[in-house]
Amino acid sequence: MSTFLNISAGPHIRDRWSTRFIMCMVLLALTPAAVVGVIVHGPHALFIILVSIASAVGTEALFDILIKSKKNTFFDGSAAVTGMLLALSLSPETPLYAPIIGSMFAICVVKCCFGGLGKNFINPALAGRCFLLISFSNAMTVFPMDHMSSATPVANLLAGKPVDLVSMFLGTSNGVIGSSIAALMVGGLLLWAFDIIHGQICFSVLGGFTLFVALFGGHGFDLEYLAANLCGGGVVMGAFFMATDYVTSPVSRLGQFVYGMLIGILGGLFRVYGSSADSFSYSIIIGNLFTPLIDTYILPKPFAYSKKDIALQNGEPKKPLSERIPKPVIVLVVITLLAGLGLSGVFELTKSTIAEQRERKAWEAYRSVVPDAVDFDSVKADEVYEFGRTRVNEAVKGYAADGSVAGYAISVTSAEGYDGDITLSVGITDDGVVNSICFTELHETPGKGMLADDPLFKDQFNNRKATSFSILMTGKSLSDNEIEVISGATITTKAIVNAVNAAYDFYLSVIKGE
Amino acid sequence: MSLTFRGGVHPKGHKELSCQLPLTKYVTKGDIILPLSHGIGKPAKAVVKKDDTVRVGQIIAEADGFISANVASSCSGKVKAIERRRTISGAMQECIVIENDGKYTLADGVGVHSDLDEITNQDIIDRVKKAGIIGLGGAGFPTHVKLAPKDPSAIKYIIANGAECEPYITCNDQLMRSQADDILEGLQIILRLFPNAEGVVAIEDNKPEAIEAMQKGVAKLASTCRIRVLALPAKYPQGGERSLIQVIAGVNFPVSKLPADVGCIVDNVGTIYAIGRAVAWNEPLYSHVLTVTGEGIKNPANFVVSDGTLISELVEECGGLNGGAKKVISGGPMMGVAIGSLDVPVVKTTNAVTVLTEDGVEKAEEQMTNCLHCGRCTTVCPQGLLPQTMADAIDLGNLERYEKKLYGLECISCGSCTYVCPAKRPLTQMFKQAKAEIMAQKRAQAGGGK
Repeated sequence: MSTFLNISAGPHIRDRWSTRFIMCMVLLALTPAAVVGVIVHGPHALFIILVSIASAVGTEALFDILIKSKKNTFFDGSAAVTGMLLALSLSPETPLYAPIIGSMFAICVVKCCFGGLGKNFINPALAGRCFLLISFSNAMTVFPMDHMSSATPVANLLAGKPVDLVSMFLGTSNGVIGSSIAALMVGGLLLWAFDIIHGQICFSVLGGFTLFVALFGGHGFDLEYLAANLCGGGVVMGAFFMATDYVTSPVSRLGQFVYGMLIGILGGLFRVYGSSADSFSYSIIIGNLFTPLIDTYILPKPFAYSKKDIALQNGEPKKPLSERIPKPVIVLVVITLLAGLGLSGVFELTKSTIAEQRERKAWEAYRSVVPDAVDFDSVKADEVYEFGRTRVNEAVKGYAADGSVAGYAISVTSAEGYDGDITLSVGITDDGVVNSICFTELHETPGKGMLADDPLFKDQFNNRKATSFSILMTGKSLSDNEIEVISGATITTKAIVNAVNAAYDFYLSVIKGE
Repeated sequence: MSLTFRGGVHPKGHKELSCQLPLTKYVTKGDIILPLSHGIGKPAKAVVKKDDTVRVGQIIAEADGFISANVASSCSGKVKAIERRRTISGAMQECIVIENDGKYTLADGVGVHSDLDEITNQDIIDRVKKAGIIGLGGAGFPTHVKLAPKDPSAIKYIIANGAECEPYITCNDQLMRSQADDILEGLQIILRLFPNAEGVVAIEDNKPEAIEAMQKGVAKLASTCRIRVLALPAKYPQGGERSLIQVIAGVNFPVSKLPADVGCIVDNVGTIYAIGRAVAWNEPLYSHVLTVTGEGIKNPANFVVSDGTLISELVEECGGLNGGAKKVISGGPMMGVAIGSLDVPVVKTTNAVTVLTEDGVEKAEEQMTNCLHCGRCTTVCPQGLLPQTMADAIDLGNLERYEKKLYGLECISCGSCTYVCPAKRPLTQMFKQAKAEIMAQKRAQAGGGK
């Protein structure tokens, strides 16, 4: 009897957790963010998500068929997670070819070519996203909101502009499909609670980032500023769903902590000193690349080989708590505190100098746009003037040597810039002719938007009298009020023209009182 | 002090199948087949010949060497043969086959009570040795060796292991409920050998009746008895020697050291019961408790069973296998060994026969994927190892990294990592093989050195 019995080595029972179960849980955790994204941004967002998932799964299936793999890994759900993550990190107005190409790159090049599930060296979804960012930068970075091209909250934050925290938190602000912090947090915290993602990764990423931004962001421990930074630029999605990717994060707890801090600090570094709003993706990829190194050098010893246990094995008594805290921890805490104190001290000392420099720069600009003036007098305005998305900062009246009015200089800031704010001064003579313009703040794309500072472009405004300038897209005939567009930088051109118009508007309505 | 060890898993217990079934003495009807080796160590040497008449409790094979144990007959009758038979591990082993006359005539002196006050410490160890007692928890290490460490005064804890953390198994639970006083008597005998030691009866908190019975038993003893009962959270492998020592003595130690090196001796409650019987009643170890359970058996039961009984006989007594039975395991599902034939004898260390209707290994093979590096194995490893990295090293054939950098020999084969692995990789199996290979290499090197 009993020849039908199975023989195999134990353990003979298994947990019900499988790869597919974990992937389904991650998909489930991403669903709230996807739902909010679709509700806020409309059906096109849904198409992006579906197309992205379908092309990711399809690519994996195709690859499996082509290499004649018997594993059929496309069914384990990992490709769907990659597709979902990629879709959530795209703009809701991205053309549909972007998720297709991104998913194919992510799955085919980054995942399958390196051996499939568990073998990729960087997070496939992030790799797909960065591939798209580099290859299709125009399509990727347009974030239209209410059919108006504008910058994302992070771009505003980088430019030092106030942002709407509540809408960022809910996901109703301008951004990627999965930008609802509340929904992402719900999913991420659930994954953490169910022990699917490692807390030591996501919280050290967030902690490292917050610490860096607090220390070096120039705003100190300003809660609102920190929260705005945390809520923008994919930090939450990165911390909970991308940095925690099993395959590309270290094995040991300490390693995971180091890896998380590395990503957080790099993210903070790029945020504070960099100019790209997508920098967090890059910091996670760099973290991924460091993983093998971390795993090589941070190899935990078994419990039996820890210092404490070796001492106990030799019959030495347990040490009191004060002696059990490792020295490096104390040293690190002291260094961190000192650095924090030092930096905030430096910030306090330099605060007035920074303000002085700004002031000087502004006055230089006024002099250059009203060259005849020898003396200035500020023009008082009763209220803050805003024209569309352009704000008037200050206006001054210039007097010539003979005491007559030489002209007016008006400083305006436009929030419509491609990469942050544009601040410029516009000089207008007493009889309403634009003297010239001068930029005091311009962070546009080098070779494109930055050409605005080139005399070829900005001198177009000189000595022209028009109540409203408009943009000439093509053609040669330049009428009185037309400004030739900077090739490849329509957004920048629009922003500048609108800003000059706003200054002129201010001149007419407030200064001249018409 | 925290009452649990680091790591561990929570497999479904399935203890409800048999936990309320009291122990019944199973009287073997068929022949008794006693292998010469029941656990770790050298097989014993047979001291009977074919056609000799033996009686219950008679020593029929004597220890051969330091780590080896006597074997006593568990029935009366005639020696039919001394030949190679298939045993639980699947291998052929030298066995003494006894034709059971069904009378169970006791050998001289067996079951005669001795006055414990007249017994010296050396007598205790000698009687344990003579009784052929080995650790009934699993490995079967000869107990008389365990009870004679270099420095008895350095032993701080005698741990009576009643954790029974393996799913399905309930025989020790029943033993503690019904024989609490005898177990405590055994424990007191051991404590006599170790003047500075404290006896700790460790029981998982999913066995409240057993805890209560043992506590009542302790309450009856003198206040100077140095024994306490400790309820531990139910978690696998709580009943592992190292897990218990981590909880009770607060120390982890490498596999190169013995529990006695850190001042602990861990014995299964069944072993301690056997010690009590051997010392006080001059009764060799020829029967022990065993659970027949699982979804695949018709009527689960807790038995006191004679060593050498065929598993097929026990299964028949329990009503036979269900139609859905897929796998029969000697022991529990975590660390037990699947057996291919039921016609193998129960040995001293067989604490359960578990019949599963669902084979986790078979299912796992269908769901197997590449390693995700999810780290669940690292979290549950009670030894603090990195199973995923160890498996990677084995895949690359890098046994040196496995042994030196990853401390792969520290693996206790508890199966926790394999149990939780979502990629369903056969981790424990890989480690067992790697450890065996490394040990073989070491032996070959040592042999070559000579």
